[in-house]
Amino acid sequence: MTQVPMRQETSQAWQRLKSDRYGMSGLVVVAIFSLIALCVWSGLLGQGWSDVSGNRWEGVSSTHWFGTNLLGQDILQRTLFGTATAFEVGLIVTLASTILGTVMGALAGWYSHSWLDEAILWLKGVLDSIPFYLFAAAVAFALRGSPWAMHLAMIITFWTTTARIIRGEVMRIKQREFIEASRAIGLPGLTIIFRHVLPNTFHILLVQASIVFVAAINTEVILSFLGLGIQDGVSWGLMLAESSQEVLAGHFGNFIAAGTSLFILLMGFNLLADALQDALDTRRATG
Amino acid sequence: MSSPALGVKDLSVWLESKSGRKQLVDSISFSINPAEATGLVGESGCGKTMTALAILGLLPAGVKVESAAIEVNGRDISRLNATQRRAVLGRDIAMIFQQPGTALDPVFTLGHQISSVYRRHTGGGNAHIRQTMLDSLESVGFSQPEEIAAAYPHQLSGGMRQLSMIAMATVCKPAVIIADEPTTALDGSTRALILQQLGQLQAQHRTAILLVSHDLAVIRQSCRKVMVMYCGRLLESTDCQSLFSHARHPYSAGLLACIPQIGSDRPPAISAIPGQVPAATNLPPGCHFAPRCTRSEQQCRQSVPGLNSEESKGVACFRPL
Repeated sequence: MTQVPMRQETSQAWQRLKSDRYGMSGLVVVAIFSLIALCVWSGLLGQGWSDVSGNRWEGVSSTHWFGTNLLGQDILQRTLFGTATAFEVGLIVTLASTILGTVMGALAGWYSHSWLDEAILWLKGVLDSIPFYLFAAAVAFALRGSPWAMHLAMIITFWTTTARIIRGEVMRIKQREFIEASRAIGLPGLTIIFRHVLPNTFHILLVQASIVFVAAINTEVILSFLGLGIQDGVSWGLMLAESSQEVLAGHFGNFIAAGTSLFILLMGFNLLADALQDALDTRRATG
Repeated sequence: MSSPALGVKDLSVWLESKSGRKQLVDSISFSINPAEATGLVGESGCGKTMTALAILGLLPAGVKVESAAIEVNGRDISRLNATQRRAVLGRDIAMIFQQPGTALDPVFTLGHQISSVYRRHTGGGNAHIRQTMLDSLESVGFSQPEEIAAAYPHQLSGGMRQLSMIAMATVCKPAVIIADEPTTALDGSTRALILQQLGQLQAQHRTAILLVSHDLAVIRQSCRKVMVMYCGRLLESTDCQSLFSHARHPYSAGLLACIPQIGSDRPPAISAIPGQVPAATNLPPGCHFAPRCTRSEQQCRQSVPGLNSEESKGVACFRPL
């Protein structure tokens, strides 16, 4: 029954998003890359990423659209597969660190200045003070090179920013009268957090999640470049690592393919996130 | 005489901090009968809102409430545990807040918010809940409740929000409504509309209303009885008419004198009560009003005058007017 107005509001937000040209181009970019990732996961694209299908360093041709690498592998196939890798890392890290950060931030903010808040802030302080790449290496070492070490390192360190933002927001929201009003109608504390406090942080969470998504893809590329990231499969970071030798020899295939893909995806995502932020803010939009 | 809808006995509120205890409300007692509106009036910072929140048990941490009893329909709610209290809040006793703009959750429609109150306390099928919600909106005077139900708080004017708040407070047909400055943030004509709707609901559902306000005009418009509060104590409790015709406590008389008189041939002097409300840390002994009172004498500064609250009219003063 309450679905009707909600749907109305969602369609209003969609109307606002549609009128934002940059936001729509971002949406198209993200949609295309998502489609590629889905096709790779379902086995339709990029399956020949490890096949040696040509000679070393072939140029652009109709069989190898982006050319081949040092081993004669098709760069297009590897770029497509790298898209799926980027999305996998981005989605897992974003989902886990956002949930963790939201819960921690909400608890710290709701019970601010209690021992729980102190403990969460202390943990956040400790994690924030460790240099990230050192930490990622330590996690990889501790987990004996598990393929999940990179994900774990990112989740453990990325939630703190989300938690800090949500904590401040919850502390601000809980002072507001509608929280007192929801106490006055007999709601228990936890219900108030999840039904009235967190929904009011949604637009911030969405933007923060998109920032984390972009950061996770970026970090995956850097960690893979350093050899701390993807082990089974290929990623844009591994391609960039390969290219560091190839560029010296004058072959830019890997470098251009991986670098451009990364740039376009992150750019599209940032444009979309920006437009979503404007479209979802009901107060600003209606004035 | 029927049993009161709201009976408060010896309610005290203390603020406990490292620097000591401050008494914010000093053992006040009163009762409100069904279908009766009682005003609680006083200057800012005299404990009106504290009293309202203490009745609901919604005071912030560090504030302690002591009371003999807070009875709603004959049931003492001051001894309930948290779960039992939550079942009472919103169902038997509801509150209307001062700022209708901020007392509503901005991300949900009014229909959603009102029906979730009803669903929580009464339950029933979705169609039934929706119908109750629309009826509730209609009963506060909205001719097209569907439109209001589909609206977000920011899409409505202040008066419409406050009417929606009243609809939310009355959706479970509570025995008692506490309205904390319900019209302070609104303009004059909206204020009249809100008070009129409150009065109608009160007659319709036999609701007891405690109207907290610093505005005597509001109290006069809508209440039959009135209590005057100062520094956490009730100084005078009487019916509205006698207060306006013959206030007995010097403080009540001072408050009345502060109302500007338009068109009267008296000199255009708005008299203010001299001095300021003392801080709760630094209350004078004896009658708290004595230092500001023109009629005070030795006795007023030494001992506290009592208010006989058992009678319908009482005044806590040694030298009443």
